[in-house]
Amino acid sequence: MRRLHVTRRQVIGGAASLWVSAALAPRAASAQGTSVLRVRSYGDIQDFDPAFSKAAPDGDVARCVFRQLITYKSGNSWEWTLDAAAEIKQVDPKTVSFTLKPGIKWSGGFGEMTADDVKYSFERIANPATKSPYKGDWETLDQVEVTGPLSGVIHLKEAFAPLWLSTLPWNAGIILCKKAMEASNNRFTTNPPATCGAYLLKEWQPKQQTILVRNPDYNGPKPAYDEIRIRPIEDEKTAEIGFEAKELDFTGTSVSSLPKLKSSPPAGSKVEVHPSLAYVWLGMNVDVPPFNDIKLRRAVQKAVDVDAILQAAYFGVAERATGIIAPGLLGHRDIKPAPRDVEGAKKLMAESGKSGVKATLAILNKTERLSAAQVIQANLAEIGIEVQIDAHDSGTFWSLGDASKGDQWKQLHMVLQRYTMAPDPSWAVEWFVPEQIGVWNWERWNSTEFGELNKKALVETDTKKRGEMYVRMQDLMEESGAYVFITHEVAGVIYRDTVAPALMPDGRVILPGFAARA
Amino acid sequence: MLLFALRRSGLACAIIFCAIALLFGMIYIVPGDPASVALGPLATPEIKAAFRAQMGLDKPITTQFALFLSHVFTGDLGIDLFSNRRVTDIVFEALPYTIALASCGIGWAIALGVPLGCWSAMRRDSWLDRITGVLAVAAIAVPSFVVALYALLLFAVELNWLPAIGAGERGDLGDQLAHLVLPSFAIGLGWVGYLARLVRASMLEVLGENHIRTARAYGLPERRIVFRYALRLAVLPTVALLGVGIANLLSGAVFAEIVFARPGAGKLVFDAVVTRNFPVVSGAVLVTTALFALCTLAADLLIAWLDPRVRASL
Repeated sequence: MRRLHVTRRQVIGGAASLWVSAALAPRAASAQGTSVLRVRSYGDIQDFDPAFSKAAPDGDVARCVFRQLITYKSGNSWEWTLDAAAEIKQVDPKTVSFTLKPGIKWSGGFGEMTADDVKYSFERIANPATKSPYKGDWETLDQVEVTGPLSGVIHLKEAFAPLWLSTLPWNAGIILCKKAMEASNNRFTTNPPATCGAYLLKEWQPKQQTILVRNPDYNGPKPAYDEIRIRPIEDEKTAEIGFEAKELDFTGTSVSSLPKLKSSPPAGSKVEVHPSLAYVWLGMNVDVPPFNDIKLRRAVQKAVDVDAILQAAYFGVAERATGIIAPGLLGHRDIKPAPRDVEGAKKLMAESGKSGVKATLAILNKTERLSAAQVIQANLAEIGIEVQIDAHDSGTFWSLGDASKGDQWKQLHMVLQRYTMAPDPSWAVEWFVPEQIGVWNWERWNSTEFGELNKKALVETDTKKRGEMYVRMQDLMEESGAYVFITHEVAGVIYRDTVAPALMPDGRVILPGFAARA
Repeated sequence: MLLFALRRSGLACAIIFCAIALLFGMIYIVPGDPASVALGPLATPEIKAAFRAQMGLDKPITTQFALFLSHVFTGDLGIDLFSNRRVTDIVFEALPYTIALASCGIGWAIALGVPLGCWSAMRRDSWLDRITGVLAVAAIAVPSFVVALYALLLFAVELNWLPAIGAGERGDLGDQLAHLVLPSFAIGLGWVGYLARLVRASMLEVLGENHIRTARAYGLPERRIVFRYALRLAVLPTVALLGVGIANLLSGAVFAEIVFARPGAGKLVFDAVVTRNFPVVSGAVLVTTALFALCTLAADLLIAWLDPRVRASL
């Protein structure tokens, strides 16, 4: 038997030549005869089972591969349009009837979508045994009655106002294949047992890309692109470079880049700015000194220069918030916010009889939060409050006000917060009810009236009355002195001028609706 | 030699055990609730409690550590809190990208740093030597992320020669290699400077030795003396450094993975720490620590193989 003899020189030489050939390898040509849309997502998919989905990227993919009775229309106002339903109507406040379009096929040979699938999907989320975090989306669901192969009736225990804007067209309204799910032990994460949407999940390369291909059996309007490649890129600046390097066709942008991109967009691209649904506020813990004194809280409200925060942290592109419900949504407070009043703040400080006040301000360690916190720090120094900024990573930050984690909430004086929401006002207010004290109500503000209004607004079907309730709730928040409303932020997007994006009013993508522009 | 290898392997195992024990202590000291992060704000306390019980997060830390170790021996690193996928799969999906990146980074360092060091040593105290010295120190001093950003702007955005983001198409080796050029250069540039200075110093020492003087007296060409006789000895400290270097780049590649939006073990651990995804942190750190120990072990063995004096002393 011959012995393989390798000299040291051969090993070193071989390794070097391998590396050099690797470095000099020609760039891969993208020889594809298909139309491909390359979009950036801020994160990778993790679990797009609608009962357990983790974040927006999951929903973006889910809405490509599944169908709902109704879905969001692209445009500047929050409206829905029919998707899997041929017809849907509110029979009375507690009853919704629907008929499915015929011929919606499940992949994997699971046949046609039926009303049984709708019943299974909605009741699964509502069932406490499923332990879905989205159970609240079907809070008042009694049952889905199947009246025919393609028709059914959704029975509610009581009226549920968010049904049309944040349940049916959102993740909780996604329809799954009952047979396929039961064969898969009623659960999937990133490998759905059967799909029926405009696109099929071709391949998921974790942390690299999700590849969707056009579903040949889809009986809706033919999607414009043969293939969609969704690339998870967390850092917005990296995504912007990727766009400029022509490796992406669509991406969200950072707020700091918007002024430059708006004034001089890269050649062959378009920039849009959408109002976001997020809400950013400065909260004060009313249960511990020094902010257990309402005069001190009011002094902070008057002293904080929100316009300066918008300039420093949001580069002047975001508007000032009047509450927690964004413009364009029911319940938005259409008022002119009070200007900064340092003298008034000093007067309130004097009335409170406090001097040499020291307080902490907890923030998430993000650039814009730090900029905002520094403005607040300077503003409050003017009225004699010395602020120490505590920046935390997300893992720590999101448990700061959680009373089940011990007494750390007692150290929380002020917190700069940002929440985001679905397009129904109930999503904005639900965190501030008394039951949420020590859970997500970190200000620990306790208003019975607020809690009652929240319950009533959920079942109020008169839009005008419901809107007034939400306005009143935000009035109460402001009167408590525990909140300084800052902004709803903005969502910037940039895309090639060969792409006609389909976007929700807040800039979120409706990928199956993307079209090619001539 | 075998005894030496066994001794070093035992040491490597002890290092891995200590690293994991330390890590387990740390991840449970820092505040933050994985259930809250994994399930989001809509989860009720009951759902969170059920989640903690399902994932074994409600057990005492010592029990969790013992369970983790017992599972490790069966190749099971646990389940990802977010996707419910096996941590082993997640780690071994990400790891090849980081190994490729670190290897290519070191490749740049060897390809540029070793010749530069030799060249400087051969022209000691000349103006070229001084310029090389300044450049080498500059390469060490410039932060890698700055190199990364400017390289991106120049070669990907302005010139459009090289791709900017991602790791290339799966199954397309050329594309994957093209995607490695910029990130590996960014992480390897600092090591070019280190190697150039180290090789220069070693070369100067070796070039002054008797056998080199003898070779010169025999009239051998200078190039042959340098590359065949001097470099062979001068490269030994470099090999030891490279062992540590490649291991260091395995964890240090995280910035390149973020800036170039590449998958990789560094980014995986970073994300898992931020989201308190304990099973992924533990699993990924176990594997990368093992790899670190393996690299240093390989460097030791390589030195023994290259240098007969070391071999003889074992």
